[in-house]
Amino acid sequence: MSKLKLLLVLLPVLAAAPQFWAQSPSLAVELPPGPMKAKATTACAECHEARIIVQQRLSSAAWTKEVDKMVKWGAVVDAKDRDSLIEYFSANFGPEQPVYVPSRTSVDKRQK
Amino acid sequence: MTTRRNFVGTASGAVFAGALASAIGFHPLLAWAGEKSLAIPGKDGMLVRSARFLDLEMPVEYAADWITPTHHFFVRNHMHEPSTLDPAGWKLSISGEVEKPYAISLTELSKLASHSVTNTLECAGNGRGLQNPKVPGVQWGKGAVGTGTFSGPQLRVLLERAGVKSAGKHVMFRGLDQVPGKVPPFIRSIPLEKAMDADTLVATHMNGAVLLKHHGFPARALVPGWIGAASCKWLTEIKVLDKEFEGNFMSPGYRMPNTAAKPGEAVKPENTHPVTALGVKSLITSPADGAALKGRAIAVHGMAWAGEADIARVEVSTDAGTTWKPARLGHDHAKYAWRQWTYAWQPQKPGAYVVLSRATDTQGRVQPDQPVWNPSGYLYNAIDQVKVHVEA
Repeated sequence: MSKLKLLLVLLPVLAAAPQFWAQSPSLAVELPPGPMKAKATTACAECHEARIIVQQRLSSAAWTKEVDKMVKWGAVVDAKDRDSLIEYFSANFGPEQPVYVPSRTSVDKRQK
Repeated sequence: MTTRRNFVGTASGAVFAGALASAIGFHPLLAWAGEKSLAIPGKDGMLVRSARFLDLEMPVEYAADWITPTHHFFVRNHMHEPSTLDPAGWKLSISGEVEKPYAISLTELSKLASHSVTNTLECAGNGRGLQNPKVPGVQWGKGAVGTGTFSGPQLRVLLERAGVKSAGKHVMFRGLDQVPGKVPPFIRSIPLEKAMDADTLVATHMNGAVLLKHHGFPARALVPGWIGAASCKWLTEIKVLDKEFEGNFMSPGYRMPNTAAKPGEAVKPENTHPVTALGVKSLITSPADGAALKGRAIAVHGMAWAGEADIARVEVSTDAGTTWKPARLGHDHAKYAWRQWTYAWQPQKPGAYVVLSRATDTQGRVQPDQPVWNPSGYLYNAIDQVKVHVEA
C-alpha cells in the first residue's frame, strides 16, 4: 500500500479519534542523552511525558524522594538502576540548571 | 473510543452542540502537520507545562479582561482526561451518610434551577516555579489562575434531596479521570459546611457554554474561593463521609505547615492542615516583565484576588518598595472574583525600574515580601514584580 493510500485509509480513523490526538503531544520532548535515557523514558512515559521531568530543578535528595514515590506509584525501575536514575535526573535537572522555558500551544484560529 | 457520531448521537440534544463544536470542530492532525507547536483544540497560545497529562498555563499578558475567555483559561489535570464521555449514560451518584442515596442523569440535572457564580479559580500550586529552593511538581509561573462564570445546580440541593444524616461531616468528590499505573485516584473532600454553601455548585456550564472536556464536562464541582483542586472535574460520585477523605490528595497532598517552616525544611504530616481558601494576591498584567517603555505616562494594569475575602486595596511601588501609591480598582466586582486595578505611573526619568504590586484584603491580610515556604510550593503569594526599562 502506498503512503498516500495508507493515509487515505487512516484519515477517517484519525478524524474519528480527535480526543486521542488532542491528548497526544505533537512535539514530543525527549530526555537528554545518557546511559539512563532509555530506562528513564520507559519507566516514566507509561504515565506522563518527559516534559514534566525536564522542567524540574531539584536537589539530589528531592530527586530521591520523587523516584521512590514514582516507583511506589507503578514506575518499573530495577533496584540496581535506582541510584543511577537519581544521579541522571540530578545531573540534568538540578537547581543550577538554566531556567526552563515552556513552549506554547498553537493559536486556535477559531478563537479569533 | 468515542467517535464524533456516537458522541453526537448520545448527547441529549442541542445543548451539547456548542461543547462539541468547541471540543472537536478543529482538526488536530492538520494542525500537527502544518504547525510547529502543540495544537490543543479550544486553547490558544497557552504555555505547555505538560501535554500528557494536560497542564496549560495562561500567559500573564492574556489576563486583560475581568472574565477570562475559556480559550485562555488554565487547565490543571492530575491524571488523563476521560477518553470517552457518554453524556446519555453519565450518572452522578449521591451516597454515603445520607437517608436516600440516588443517582441523577445529566438530563435530570439540567432541569434543576441553575445558579451562577463568577469565581477566580486558582491552582494551589500557581507560582510554584518561583519558590526557592525549588520543590517538585508542575512548575507553574504566574498564570494558573483565571476568572470564569460557572453555572449549574447548587450542590446543597442535590444533598438535601438525599437527606444528609447527622453523622455526615465531609463531602467527597470522585471524577472520571483515567488513573495510570498505581497512582492513587484523584479524590478529595470538602467540609459539609462549605458543601452546603449557596455558592457551591455542580457546574455544567462555564462562561455561558457547556463545559469543555478540559474543564470537566459534563459536570464539575465548583467550590468558590478555594484552591482549584477542591473543584473536582468529570464528577461522577458525591459521597457524604463522617470524616475527611483519607487519600493521597488530602494527605500528604494539599497540606500546609501549621507553623512557619524555614525554606527547604521538611514538615511532619501531623504538623500540617489542608489547603482550603486562597490567599490574598495581586498580579501585574501590564507592562510585561522586561518591557522597554516609552513616554512619561504609563498605565500599570493588574488583577487582585483573595479567595473568600474581598480586595480592600492594591498599592503599587516603583521604587523597590520604599513608597507605595494606591491603585484604582475596577468596577467589575463579584464575591469570589478578582478585581482589575490600574495605576497611572509617571516616571520622572529614564532608567531601570522594578514595579511592585501589593494587595490587602478585607480580612486584613497583606501580600508578604516572601512567600510562605512549604514543601509542595502551595499558595505562592509574594508581592508581584516586573522589571522594566523606561527609555529616554
